Amino acid sequence: MGVTAGGLVARRGRFVLDVPAFRADASGTAVLGPNGAGKTTLLYALQGLIGHDGSVAKPARSAAVFARPAVLRGSALWNVTTIVSAVLRVSLADAQMRARHALDDVGLAECSGADARSLSTGERQRLAIARALAVEPQAMFLDEPFANIDADARPQLRSLLRSYVERTRCDVVLVTASLADATALCASTVVLGQGRVVHEGSLAEIGTTRDLYLQALVAESRVTL
Amino acid sequence: MLKIAALSVAVSVVATLLAAAVAIPAALWIVHGRSAGRSVLLALFGAGLGLPPVAVGLAVAFMFWRSGPFGWIDLLYTPAAMAIAQTIIVVPLIGTLAVISLRTSDNTLPMQLAALNVPRRARFFLIAREVAPGFAAAILAGFGRAVAEVGAAQMTGGNIEGQTRVLTTATMLAVGKAEFGEAFSYVAVLLGIMAVAAGVALTLQRRWA
Repeated sequence: MGVTAGGLVARRGRFVLDVPAFRADASGTAVLGPNGAGKTTLLYALQGLIGHDGSVAKPARSAAVFARPAVLRGSALWNVTTIVSAVLRVSLADAQMRARHALDDVGLAECSGADARSLSTGERQRLAIARALAVEPQAMFLDEPFANIDADARPQLRSLLRSYVERTRCDVVLVTASLADATALCASTVVLGQGRVVHEGSLAEIGTTRDLYLQALVAESRVTL
Repeated sequence: MLKIAALSVAVSVVATLLAAAVAIPAALWIVHGRSAGRSVLLALFGAGLGLPPVAVGLAVAFMFWRSGPFGWIDLLYTPAAMAIAQTIIVVPLIGTLAVISLRTSDNTLPMQLAALNVPRRARFFLIAREVAPGFAAAILAGFGRAVAEVGAAQMTGGNIEGQTRVLTTATMLAVGKAEFGEAFSYVAVLLGIMAVAAGVALTLQRRWA
């Protein structure tokens, strides 16, 4: 079905986000841009989490991974189980089975009994990815989902998300500062600067743009040691 | 003795529950609300922490004096008047502690649950479960302050035997009469009540930890 927005204007204090048109589907749209460009604000507005003008449409069942995931008091397994049973309205036993599976997929099987609040930032992000996948979303809104995850585990988590998207045709909106993340999950990009769209198109062609932020991003991704 | 202790607990429990009913919604508004005046209310709570019980007692007694604005209700020297005075004393404490507990918890949790499409009712219960330990600690601290104060209980209750005499006012009277043994027994019971309240708080915190 896709995530679409038209004439989207959202205000947060003095900051104004103005995106005339936005579209994302299962081929994925990466939202890029410097700090303070409005990436997270766009993600919130698309999900209807903040007030905005203009129209937004998204599938009924969506899930999000926030840059700083909030967790509930209780074990990691309980965190995922509770949310799965509330969202999918399945029995606790069924929800727990799905939760175990999801935690196993993100490499948190050993921590499933640990208090979620005691998990490291990276482990919390894994937990957030697990609960987002476990609710079987038709659209995913991801805000720097791999930022604090170990470099050696990132490829596995990217392919986990990618295989879910390929299997379910789930729409993806990804806010990121990493081209590796963007290229793993997205075919197109929207680049924001000071609340406005400064570039949009295929991810493959960003190497040819004149935008200084994008040039720096591409240069950084080419670093060889 | 039993009657005095029971009245102490009853008046302070009622006052604490009334105060919580006012202070907790106010704390939620201060932390999560959007309209103006939130910082003013927080400042009032802060200032109210040092409110002398005897001053609150005097103000409430004045309100309910026969010639006062609410004299017609005929509440002065009743447990109800004592509970009203204790409520006023305790609201700032519960409010301030509830604000602190809300501010130390992750205030993006409601948004994150909404972003996962958790239904509204389940969201409410999950958030309530998160804030419950902090609120319980605030409420128990409020009860401790209410049951231990003497100035307001004396001013608004009048320490009438069998009607408004509570542990703190009974202690004052016993000391006045140089009945120190009696005074110490009142204080011992008061400390026992405080110990039970602290025990409840500790047990809840352990269970929720």
